[in-house]
Amino acid sequence: MQRLFAKLNNLFRSGRADRELDREVSAHLTLLEDEFQNRGMSIENARFEARRAYGGVEQAKQLHREERSILWLEQTFADLRFACRSLLKTPGFTTVAVLTLALGIGANIAIFAVVNAVLLQPLPFQHSEQLVRVFDDLNGAGGKDIGMSEPEFEDLRDRSGVFDHISALFPGSSALSGGDHTERIELLVTSSDYFQLLGAQPALGRVYGPRDAQPGFTESVVISDGLWKRQFGGDPRILGRRIRVDEDGYTIVGVMPPDFRHPARTLTGDVELWAAFGFAADPLPSPPVRAQRLLPGAIARLKPGLTILQAQQHLDALTAQLAQTYPKEYPAASKWSLRLEPVEQTLTGSVRPTLVVLLAAVGFVLLMVAVNMASLLVARSSARMRELAIRQALGASRARLVRQLLTESVLLSLAGGLAAMLVLALTKGSLLALMPSDLPRLSEVHFDARVVILASVLSLATGILFGLTPALHASSTDPNRDLKEGTRGGTSSLRQNRFRSALVATEIALSVVLLSGAGLLVHSFWNTLRVNPGFDPQGMLVARIWIPFPNNPAMNRYRTAPAIAGFTREILRRARTLPGIEEAAMGGDNSVPLVTNTRNQTAFWLPDQPDSAVKQRAAESASVSPEFFQVLRTPLLRGRFFTESDTDKSKLVVIVNESFAKLYLTGPAVGQRINFRVGQRFADWEIVGVVQDVRNDALDTNASPRFYRPLYQGTANEMAIFLRGQPDSSGLKQAVTGIVQAVDPDLPVYGVRTLREMMATSLARRRFSLSLMAVFGALALFLASIGIYGIMAYAVSQRAQEFSIRMALGAEARDILLLALRPGAILTLTGVALGLAAAQGATHLMASLLFGVSAADPITFVSVPVTLALVALLACWIPASRAVRIPPVAALRS
Amino acid sequence: MSSEAKSRIQVLQGTLDLIVLRTLRTLGPQHAYGIAARLEQVSEDLLKLNQGTLYPALVRLEQQGWIKGKWDKTENGREAKYYALTKAGIKALEEETQRWRQLSGLVEKLLLEES
Repeated sequence: MQRLFAKLNNLFRSGRADRELDREVSAHLTLLEDEFQNRGMSIENARFEARRAYGGVEQAKQLHREERSILWLEQTFADLRFACRSLLKTPGFTTVAVLTLALGIGANIAIFAVVNAVLLQPLPFQHSEQLVRVFDDLNGAGGKDIGMSEPEFEDLRDRSGVFDHISALFPGSSALSGGDHTERIELLVTSSDYFQLLGAQPALGRVYGPRDAQPGFTESVVISDGLWKRQFGGDPRILGRRIRVDEDGYTIVGVMPPDFRHPARTLTGDVELWAAFGFAADPLPSPPVRAQRLLPGAIARLKPGLTILQAQQHLDALTAQLAQTYPKEYPAASKWSLRLEPVEQTLTGSVRPTLVVLLAAVGFVLLMVAVNMASLLVARSSARMRELAIRQALGASRARLVRQLLTESVLLSLAGGLAAMLVLALTKGSLLALMPSDLPRLSEVHFDARVVILASVLSLATGILFGLTPALHASSTDPNRDLKEGTRGGTSSLRQNRFRSALVATEIALSVVLLSGAGLLVHSFWNTLRVNPGFDPQGMLVARIWIPFPNNPAMNRYRTAPAIAGFTREILRRARTLPGIEEAAMGGDNSVPLVTNTRNQTAFWLPDQPDSAVKQRAAESASVSPEFFQVLRTPLLRGRFFTESDTDKSKLVVIVNESFAKLYLTGPAVGQRINFRVGQRFADWEIVGVVQDVRNDALDTNASPRFYRPLYQGTANEMAIFLRGQPDSSGLKQAVTGIVQAVDPDLPVYGVRTLREMMATSLARRRFSLSLMAVFGALALFLASIGIYGIMAYAVSQRAQEFSIRMALGAEARDILLLALRPGAILTLTGVALGLAAAQGATHLMASLLFGVSAADPITFVSVPVTLALVALLACWIPASRAVRIPPVAALRS
Repeated sequence: MSSEAKSRIQVLQGTLDLIVLRTLRTLGPQHAYGIAARLEQVSEDLLKLNQGTLYPALVRLEQQGWIKGKWDKTENGREAKYYALTKAGIKALEEETQRWRQLSGLVEKLLLEES
C-alpha cells in the first residue's frame, strides 16, 4: 500500500526523481573513479573502468524508473503529452477533426437523450409496467376505440378480477370563471381512485380518493402546478379556494407537482384540472344505459404478478359472458371486445418509428464521421511514415506504436465528445424548442447519468473505431523501406492508397443510405403538401368556443336545438360584419379539422342495407351549420348541402363523406337511412348528400368514414367559428373573441388560429424528422465528397510524373483526364452499388413514416445515386483537370 | 535491455534485498558504491554484479520504508547518498533472514534426498 502511494507520487514527480537519480549515479561513478585512481590508474582509464563496473547507465535508469513507478500509466501519460503536442502542432487538422467528431457525437447524444426520455425510461410512476389502457372495439363493425358505457366500466371494475384500480378517462374542456374573464382550461374527468391508481402524490394539499366516490361529481378538485401559478399566482393559501367550473362550484383541495403529467392523450395541452365523477348522475343520463358508450376510455393498474396477456384472457372470457347475458346490446356480428394496451405504448407508440429511424440515421452519421476520420488519419500517418519508422528502428514494438497512435485518436474523440456535451448543455433549451411540441414526454428530456455514460462510451468507442485500423496499418511498417521512402520525398505505397479507397467507398455507401432515407421523407412530405385536404385553407381563420356543460341540465342555457341555432345565427350575423371577412360558418362537436377529437366513433345501423339486422357499424360524426361546406370549399358530390330549414322541426338528415358511402353503402347513397342513438332514443336519419373526404385527423392520414349532422338539429359543447377573408389582418383574432363575448360573456374562446397554422402544426412532426434527415443527408454528402476529393487529389499528385511522361509522348488532355478520373469513377460506382443494396434493406424500416411512396420509391432510388455520382465526379474532376494543366516539364523535373 | 541482464537480475530478485539489508546492518549507513564494494569483497568476486543494478533494490526498499537515504560527505569529501536501516528495516531483516533460512534449509534437504 505504502509502495503504491510512493509509486503514484513518483508518477507526477517523475522529473524530480530522475534528477535525484542522476545525482546519485554520478556520485557513485565519482566514487568508483576515485577507487580506480587509488589503484594507480590514469584519470582516463579510471573513468572508463568506472563506467564498465557500473554497467549500462541508461538501462539502470530505466530499471529504476520501472521499479519506482507504474510503467504503463507513466507511458500513457507520456503518450498523452505526446499526442497533445503533435495535435497542437497541426491546429488545422485538430480543429476540423474535433468539430467533425463533436457534430457526429453531439447529434447522437441529442437524439439518444430524446429516445432515452421518450422510449427507454419507464413512465415516472411506481411499477409503471402494471399500467394499462382499456379500449372497446367493435371489430365486426370496423370500430376501434368506440368508448365504453358506465355499466361496462362497472363490470370491468367489479367482475373482471384483474385490476387493482381502474379509472375512466374523460379529457375535455371546461370554462373556469372567477377571474377577469372566463377561461377555457384542459379538464380531465376521472374516477375517484385515479391518483391512487397512478400512485401520484400532490405537491400541496391532498388528492381525491376512493372515499370520495359518488354517482355524480365530487366537490373536491385538484389543479396543476401550471394553472396554480398562472391563474392563482402560486398562492400558498390556495387550498379550500372555491372555483366555478362550467358554472358549478368546486373546492381546490390539492396542487400537483410541476413534473406530474397525465400519461395519456389530452385535447390541447397538459391537464390543468382533475375532477372525480361517478358517471352515473347528472349531467349524464341516470340510470346509465349499457349500450350508450359515453366514457371515452379507461386506465387501469393490473394486479401484481399478472401479465397483460393473462389479463386479456380474463377480459375475453368476461366479454363472451356479457355478450351472452345481453344479446341485444352486443350483437354477435359486431364482435364487441375489450383490448388492453400498455399505457406507455399508447402514449409513445406513434413516435417510436420516427425516433428509431432518427436514431439509426444519426448512428450512420457517426459511422461516416468515423470513416472520414480514419481516412484523415491514414493520410496523416503517411506523412508521419518516417517518424514511425524511426521509432520502430529505435526499438518501439508494434503494440507500443499502436498504443501511441490510438491515444491520439481517442484524445481527439474525447475532445469532440466533451465539446458536444458542452454545446448541448448550453443550448438544451433552444434545441428542445425545435422539437415538435406534440411529442409526448418532452419535458422529461434531461442529460442524466445514462446520457453522460453514453456520451463517454460513444466518444471512446468512436476514437478506437476510427483510430485502430489506421494505427494497425501505419504501424505495420518496414523501417528499412519506409526510412528510404521517407527520404525520397514521400511516395506512399499502393497498399495505403487501396486502404483509403476502401474507406472512401464505404463513405459513399453510407451516404447513399442516408440520402435515400432523406429522399423518401422529402418525397413523402411533398406528397402531404400536395394532398387535397378536402378544404381550402386560403384565408381561413378558426376560433373555438366552449359551451359550458353544467351538472344540472336546467342550468344549461344551450341544452336545446333552438338555443344552439339562435346562438349560431347571432354569431354568424355579427361575424359577417367584421372587416375583411367575406364568409362565415359554424360547426359543433368534432367539426374542426386537424385537432385532437374528444369524441369516440358513433355506432350505427343501416336499415336499408341487406345485412342491417345483424351488422352494426361505426363512424366519426360531426355537426355543422348550413354554410359549412361552401365556406370550407368542400365539394358536394351528390345530393344537397344542409339548409336553414334543416332544424329540429323538420326531418332528421345527415350528409356522409365519400369514404362512408364507399365503405358502407351499396346503391345510391342519397335517400338511404342510418339509425343511431341521440340521447335516450334511436332515430332514423336520411342521407341527403355526399361530400368529398376531409382530412380531419391529419394531412397524412386518410379520411375515415364520417357523417355530418345539421348543427340546428341537435346540441353541441365544442363549437367553432370558421371565417374566410383576410384572416391575417391584425386585430381580427381579438375581434372574433369580442363578438362571442358580446353575445355571451360566459363563453370562453380559445384556439384562434388560421387553418394554415393548423396545417403546419399537423405536419410539425413530419417536418421535424424531415429536416433532421435532410441535414444528416447533406452532411453525409459533404463528408463523402471531401473524402473522395482528398483521395483523388492525392492520387493525381502521385501520378503527376506519369501524366507528364504520357503528355510528353503525345497523349491528349482528354486522355489524361479520363485516366485521372477512372479510379474515382470506379470508387464512386462501387460505393453507390454497395449503398443501394444497403439502402434497400434500411429504408424498409421507415415504411411507417412514408406517405404516398413505397420504400422502394423509384424517384428516390434514381435521383440519390445520380446526385451522389455527380457530386463525386465533380470532386474527382477538380484534381483531374489540374493534372492536365501541369506543364510536363515542371512535373518531370520535380 | 538484453535478456541476459534481465535474467540475472531476476535470479537475484529475492535475495538481493536481503543481502542489501544485511550489509547495511553490518556496515551501518552506507552509500550504494560502498554496498557494492562490500558485496564484491565478501563474495570474493564470485558475485560479479553491475553496480547499477543495485538501484532498483534500493528504491524498492526505500519505498517499503525499510531504509532511508540521506545525502552526506564521504571521508574524501565526495558527496554520496547514505542509506540507513529504519526500525521497520531491522524487523524486516529478521523476518527475511528467518524466511531465507527456512527456504534454503528446505532446498538443501530436497537436494540431499535427491542425490
